[in-house]
Amino acid sequence: MKWLHFFTPAKSIDFNESQTYISQHSGEDITILDVRQPSEYKQSHIPGATLIPLPQLSDRLDELDPDKPTLVY
Amino acid sequence: MLAGKGFRKVLNVSGGIKAWNAKTAIGPQDLGMDLFNGKEAPLDILKVAYSLEQGLRDFYITMEKQASHKKVKDLFAKLSDIEVKHQMSIYVAYNDISTKDVSKDEFEKMVEQKALEGGLTTKEYLELFGTNLNAEADVISLAMSIEAQALDLYQRVSLNVENLESRQIINKIANEEKAHLASLGKLMDSL
Repeated sequence: MKWLHFFTPAKSIDFNESQTYISQHSGEDITILDVRQPSEYKQSHIPGATLIPLPQLSDRLDELDPDKPTLVY
Repeated sequence: MLAGKGFRKVLNVSGGIKAWNAKTAIGPQDLGMDLFNGKEAPLDILKVAYSLEQGLRDFYITMEKQASHKKVKDLFAKLSDIEVKHQMSIYVAYNDISTKDVSKDEFEKMVEQKALEGGLTTKEYLELFGTNLNAEADVISLAMSIEAQALDLYQRVSLNVENLESRQIINKIANEEKAHLASLGKLMDSL
């Protein structure tokens, strides 16, 4: 069995690029979305990140602004 | 999940928070090979869905063998069994909306052809994400990302399927994938 790429098109950026991206935008202009579990979020997270654990994401999309660039981890 | 729901610009941080913690850059992943542009015929969507379930099952069976933690092992065994049921429902849905009935063998051959076009083996897939098979949190996290993709796929598919019965089948599978995601989340919290 081989996997297909089941991923919706989303550009991937590496750590350095994401740091630059965050520093170039003010917090109000971008959404930093943390989709991990709350326990992981507590341990560490990117400052300003919104926590919506993956299991809840499909039901809570209305809390996010689709027009803002969204950085997901 | 976001890119398929009208979000204009979605940026995935490669390697997630691990990359931030370790401060090491993980090479860019070109995962823009979306199979679904929303214009596919429901029959084609079901073929891809079937192969997705096959992939999920394959993934869970591999993980079940690798896992040492009993709770994790049991969950993967349970999840792989459910994917078999999903495959059967998808096959039934296919015959339900297809103008001619196909046998399960014929259907699987069609699915296989489609899956081989741009596939990755489970091993390559795990390597792509830098998953440490001995780290349960890593494996569960990958399983969650796959289930989220499956959920997203089914939610989008259900909007395209006009046949009410098929739509109900897809919705039922979507809800089960959502429940899988929740179980994986709980498991992650319990580690």
